[in-house]
Amino acid sequence: MAAPANPVDITPRQVANKSDKQALRDALRMTLDVQSAAIRRNTQTFNRNRYTAIARIADYDAMKDRARRIKENAIANLPALLQQLEASVHANGGHFFLAKTAADANNYIRDVLVQHEVKLVVKGKSITTEETRLNHSLEVVGIKVAESDLAEFILQVADEQPSHIIAPALHYSRERITALFKRKFQTDLPLDTGEELTRSAREILRQQFIAADAGISGANLIAADSGSLMLVESEGNIRMTTTLPPLHIAIAGIEKVVPSRKDFQSFIELLPASATGQPLTSYVSILQPPLTALPFVAPGKTAKPREFHLVLVDNGRSTMREDPILHEALYCIRCSACLNVCANFETVGGHAFGGETYSGGIGGSWEAGTGTLMNARFSELCTGCSRCVPQCPVRIDIPWLNQNLRQRMNEADGNSAVKSLFGSLTGSAPEDRVAPLQKQFFANYHTVGKLGTDFPSLANGSTHMPMARQVMENVFGVDQRRELPPFPAKTWEQLFRDERPPTKAATISPGVAMLADTFTNYGTPERGMAAVRVLRAIGVDVVLTPSIPDGRAAMSQGMIATAREQARAMAAMLQPFLRSGRKIIVVEPSVLAMLRFDNKHLLDDPAPIAALASGSFEPLQALWDIAQETSVDLAKLFPAAKSRFGTRLFYHSHCQQRTCNAASQTIDVLRAAGFDVATSSVECCGMAGSFGYKTDYYELSMAVGADLFAQVQQAEQEGGPRVLVASGISCHEQLVAGMGRIVMHPAEVLASTL
Amino acid sequence: MAANETLTTVSVDLDGFVAAATAAVATVEVIERSSSALRDAILRVAGGANRILFAPPQDLPAELFAEFARDPRVRNDPTPDEMVNSPAGVTEAFAGVAGTGSVCVDVGYQKTGMASLLAPLHIAVVAAETIVPQPRDLFREDVLGGKGLARSFVFLTGPSATADMGPLVRGVHGPHRLHIVVLR
Repeated sequence: MAAPANPVDITPRQVANKSDKQALRDALRMTLDVQSAAIRRNTQTFNRNRYTAIARIADYDAMKDRARRIKENAIANLPALLQQLEASVHANGGHFFLAKTAADANNYIRDVLVQHEVKLVVKGKSITTEETRLNHSLEVVGIKVAESDLAEFILQVADEQPSHIIAPALHYSRERITALFKRKFQTDLPLDTGEELTRSAREILRQQFIAADAGISGANLIAADSGSLMLVESEGNIRMTTTLPPLHIAIAGIEKVVPSRKDFQSFIELLPASATGQPLTSYVSILQPPLTALPFVAPGKTAKPREFHLVLVDNGRSTMREDPILHEALYCIRCSACLNVCANFETVGGHAFGGETYSGGIGGSWEAGTGTLMNARFSELCTGCSRCVPQCPVRIDIPWLNQNLRQRMNEADGNSAVKSLFGSLTGSAPEDRVAPLQKQFFANYHTVGKLGTDFPSLANGSTHMPMARQVMENVFGVDQRRELPPFPAKTWEQLFRDERPPTKAATISPGVAMLADTFTNYGTPERGMAAVRVLRAIGVDVVLTPSIPDGRAAMSQGMIATAREQARAMAAMLQPFLRSGRKIIVVEPSVLAMLRFDNKHLLDDPAPIAALASGSFEPLQALWDIAQETSVDLAKLFPAAKSRFGTRLFYHSHCQQRTCNAASQTIDVLRAAGFDVATSSVECCGMAGSFGYKTDYYELSMAVGADLFAQVQQAEQEGGPRVLVASGISCHEQLVAGMGRIVMHPAEVLASTL
Repeated sequence: MAANETLTTVSVDLDGFVAAATAAVATVEVIERSSSALRDAILRVAGGANRILFAPPQDLPAELFAEFARDPRVRNDPTPDEMVNSPAGVTEAFAGVAGTGSVCVDVGYQKTGMASLLAPLHIAVVAAETIVPQPRDLFREDVLGGKGLARSFVFLTGPSATADMGPLVRGVHGPHRLHIVVLR
């Protein structure tokens, strides 16, 4: 194997295709070293602005439902819509071409341009032409292509693939653009500010707009009833491209078609709000080409009539449409909300968390759909944290798509006797025993945890033995730099049995059933017991369920058959508790998320899915609800002043806890009890279950965590030390690793006041 | 019809429009509806321009622009060279949007597209009664006679802008400044 290149010597194109895992490793090193700061700044700005923008849309949820329905119906009726669209384009006097492959699309466009003797074509932003690699096929026949979107202009100068679906060059800092332009343009012009760089690019491109014989644009939406295009931008280059030259070619994927221009109603506000967080971008063009207005005639040229071609690209989309899982990706309106809200994407961008064209959480499905399955290997960077799920304007469950891609890649990894034996010993479903050992190891944490707590001194000794850690790293890819949490002497189940029953009778009945989730039972039973005590303190009758696996760990490794078996057993086990009227309380938020929303993919019967989703709660959420219903004074019940931890806290809620809308109540309870609570605003801590333990992702995990650690430091600089509090077990481990301090569960903080 | 007109007039959120357009970094002036007031308002903003591109209106009455059009610097049939080298362009907008401060310009009509695009300053003239609440309203048959469903047009919201070169920069390929004249 060649010696690994220095990160700064790796070019993005070299690592665009991630079907070789080494490309993913190299891409991570390159992006972390060179690009991360600019990507963080830009994506996190988009992310903050989006939260502000969607809060201003009064009917945001209803609008998302409408958008989703339109896309569902459009994809379902796509063949008929394409026929209708073809007729509409013809009726407008335009030309229509349905390209089966990327090459078909490129050849058609090349032929049209050659026929018109086009020497120079200006392009608006079109990611679809990145997919088809159109520029290359035009340049080889001598047609000059001028990318006019400034980001695409940068990428053309640098010869790189997009790093982001709407801001393709957001991995470039201003300083790096200056260096690039100075190197490539050999100019003495000042290029040291955003204004100067923009002015220089504008002057180059203004000449191209005027001289161009043709313009190529994309389209955000296309209406079948009228052949209307919706084009969203801010720079004005798309307006130039579609308005000035006599020949306009629009190219887009077939999934962009909606039935009617009236359907633009449901997207025109949703798309910009979800994308850059603007109410509208500077320019939204609604065109029904060919335009009737006369084109621009450059001095010395003869006037030509307008001509319009719509090129729709299939290139695998029809196959995606037939795919029971991947068809959801066709609903994507390319807003980038899922990229900007994703902690891993915010840290490395699309050159690592992306393929040759598409990036981020949704990108895996697109690379697999328009390329081959292994092109989606970068989708391993989806930790399943679920923060993208509520942000998607068309409600695509992106983690579920990635878990399915993972399952398919596991299958492609092939069978072996070792994997099969390991899987049967640890609890993998037969279908999942093809998965790599690392995946089966992490998926079957329940088995590992049970063994570890049966023999804690043996297990804890070995996790501290360098040789054992070397074996774990070599065989399972568990990074040696991670401190492994010790197995407790007693499980939560054992501690619960040992606990003295409450002296006062419960006043709130039928009470709750606490799920002895794997992670709490075998990992941090003291957190579980604290939750038991605070719920008992408010008068709730508490029972503990048996501890069985919940499917979370298996699902995150793409072992869906195993997850399905476990989810079914879990639903059956919880059924009697629900029937007796008890709420299900789940300490570990990732398990709560299984019951709240992941079960719908794994269980068949809608009744238990709904019962579990509406009947399961995070412990402090339940506490807050009860306190509201019974008007209990939390300040009297849990007087903060009595806490041995002091009253000043820094609280980090768990990603899936926030997606379940079960995080703010913890802050409410702690504040009502009299604690001074500072909070984090990061989307995810970076550990994300097993992700941060994996050797390949350790550096990324810690880089993501750096934002959280910095927020802790900032809060403490402003007003002195605080006790770290986290609801999730992974967040707990990540904070311990990053800050080197103890971290408490909110229930432990409350219990300390009793 | 009369009832409809009343309804439209009453529901126009002029203050909201001005606030949203200003937030989008456009400048706005609300004036009385007269040819001389319009001329004065345009020339106040385009005052120093040696040449002003002008796309004659199709929705607003031509007489409203009559006094402005008499200014010797106005070009309503510019040469290609004048088209790309004029400091200001004037067009009508057939709709405004209160929620976003946008104006809608028909780009399928004569040279309106270019006059609203190529000069560094674009002055858009919009009638107050055509201001609708939200962008989505343009895609309804019962709003503005369904013009938004029939025309090729652009929602303009502030000047052209980019963040691709690092910091936010206003003034890219499109106008660097959008001034909106609202006719009361």
